[in-house]
Amino acid sequence: MPLAAGSARPLVQALPALIPVLALFLGLDIYCLVNLTRATSVRNAPKLAWVIVILCVSAPLGAILYLFFGMDRTGAGQKAAPAPRQAAPPAIPPMTVGSLQAKAGLIVATTGLTRNYGGNGLFDVDLAVPRGCVYGLVGLNGAGKTTLLSIVAGTRHADRGSVSLAIERRRMAVCPDVPEFDGWLTAAEVVDLARSLVAPEAGPAAVDAALRAVGLADAAGRRLGGFSRGMQQRLGLACALTGDPELLILDEPTSALDPAGRAEMLALVAAMRGTRTVIFSSHILADVQRVADQVGILRDGRMLYQGGTRELMDNHLTPSWLLRIAERTGEVAAALAEQPWVARVETAEPGVLRVDATTIEDGERGIPAVVAACGARQVSCEPAAADLEAAFLALTGARVAEAA
Amino acid sequence: MTTAVSARQMSLWRLEWLRLFRTPRALSLGAVYLAIGLIEPVATRYASTLLAHVGNGAEVRLPKPTPVQALSSYVSEATLIGLIVLVSVAASAYGFDARPGLAAFFRTRVRGMWRLVAPRFTAYAVGGAVAYLIGTLAAWYETRLLIGSLPVGGLLAGLLCGAVYLAFAVAVTAFAASLTRTTVASVGITLGILLALPLLADVHAISNWVPSALIGAPADLVASPPGHGLVHFVPALGVSAVAGALALAAAVLRLRRREI
Repeated sequence: MPLAAGSARPLVQALPALIPVLALFLGLDIYCLVNLTRATSVRNAPKLAWVIVILCVSAPLGAILYLFFGMDRTGAGQKAAPAPRQAAPPAIPPMTVGSLQAKAGLIVATTGLTRNYGGNGLFDVDLAVPRGCVYGLVGLNGAGKTTLLSIVAGTRHADRGSVSLAIERRRMAVCPDVPEFDGWLTAAEVVDLARSLVAPEAGPAAVDAALRAVGLADAAGRRLGGFSRGMQQRLGLACALTGDPELLILDEPTSALDPAGRAEMLALVAAMRGTRTVIFSSHILADVQRVADQVGILRDGRMLYQGGTRELMDNHLTPSWLLRIAERTGEVAAALAEQPWVARVETAEPGVLRVDATTIEDGERGIPAVVAACGARQVSCEPAAADLEAAFLALTGARVAEAA
Repeated sequence: MTTAVSARQMSLWRLEWLRLFRTPRALSLGAVYLAIGLIEPVATRYASTLLAHVGNGAEVRLPKPTPVQALSSYVSEATLIGLIVLVSVAASAYGFDARPGLAAFFRTRVRGMWRLVAPRFTAYAVGGAVAYLIGTLAAWYETRLLIGSLPVGGLLAGLLCGAVYLAFAVAVTAFAASLTRTTVASVGITLGILLALPLLADVHAISNWVPSALIGAPADLVASPPGHGLVHFVPALGVSAVAGALALAAAVLRLRRREI
């Protein structure tokens, strides 16, 4: 029965109609205030300011403003503090047996891959990644590493050239340099989503295994809003691992990690050698040298070198050692100078000889033998700047000279 | 030791469900339509009183409000404010390419863009329809109490038209999201398209075929005699369905070609 206009007691008669309106406004305000009280953080303004907005701005406008612009969508009431750092994560076990047996040949190869971004990009890149290796893709910022990996991953197109995979594309996983996820999901849900997309047959056990492998088991039920950058990178790796990929592409996996996080990530990558193929890009040469057995060096979109890390240093550096001996320095120096594999011997400081050899192998085998033959006491013998960085600089410097 | 993996397994459909209910999206949609549905009949009923207060006691005489007027007010506000909210929440869900890390997560795992678009379209088309239903029920309740009853048949037919129009709007949002990566731009393009459609309706020959003809359908249908009226909107319903499907197909094609 509609209420008559001009009723003697209009307010009382209108109550059944007004109560739902008031209940809605009151409910929204209460909801927002409770949410605000429980939230550990809010956006755009301090909590007190939002309380004032909710209570003082005409209802329900204040509450709606808070819902859209103030509410922390990563889960009210959740503790946002990062989880305690885990001990070094365990080595990743192969998730299935027998599927990743190394075969002869390449797992990824590109031919004449070209993508021109107005003079930058990639030019005639022939990538060759042996199955089962850890392949480090090295280059300065803008060298074309991400473009190359994106084309291999299928998220960008090449202007010219081809990509050949020895595996199904679904057996390849990609972890970008900055993994991003919706902050209102938990770590377990994100990894489970990845599993459901690439390996629905694997079941929840694969999620557990992947989270444990990257040291995030204790944070499985936490929403991602409070995750640090390092935790997000490890979560990205867990997502990649949950499908038990044969080929794992990691774009700058250590770029934003602190030293401990870098060490953990590199330990994870190193542990995969032999069980799956890993291509990881980095401009941190020490990281590549530490875990990669194959290396490709990109400069200005062109592949300058591709092959074994050891061979790179062998071929592009004069291997050099600092030999510290306790006695008979002159006698040892003379004996070394007579060796056909010694390029140069000089006294770096009293009791210390700098020995340049023709190859690393000759130096590593020959120097201790000569010291022993002379009856001298060796204090130490350590490589002098025989690292990837020196090789990289030697290689790129040589090419600069050639270009000039 | 096992980790606390959610009891319910994840999928792209469950992701959208969680997106709706773990963020303010569902609450915003429902609250906005409910608020409009509750307020508009009250405002219609007490318009003269409210105007008198605003006018410092000046006597304002308005014609006696009718149930159709109350519903028209609801539809008018819901079409404007509700549609903006719906398009905004849908555009943010379609904007998975706005964040490169998130785009890489989906695009390297999902085979076929349709698998990404379909759950999002369904979630927001259904969400919009449910919110519209909630608002309409609230408007019906308030109108019945304050002004007079509305014919249920016409109301249901109007609901159908409104829901189809909202689904069309969500499909247009998907297309807009394939043209640009940012949510704000997607919302702008969508609203631009939706606001331009009524201009097309000015061309008399096609006025019944333009999807925007469905906007006023609920009020027209409750004013029509029982059993009549819906036929008048069949062309617009058909065009909305076809155009929505085409918008989704175009969105899928464009998203497939997009690089990250």
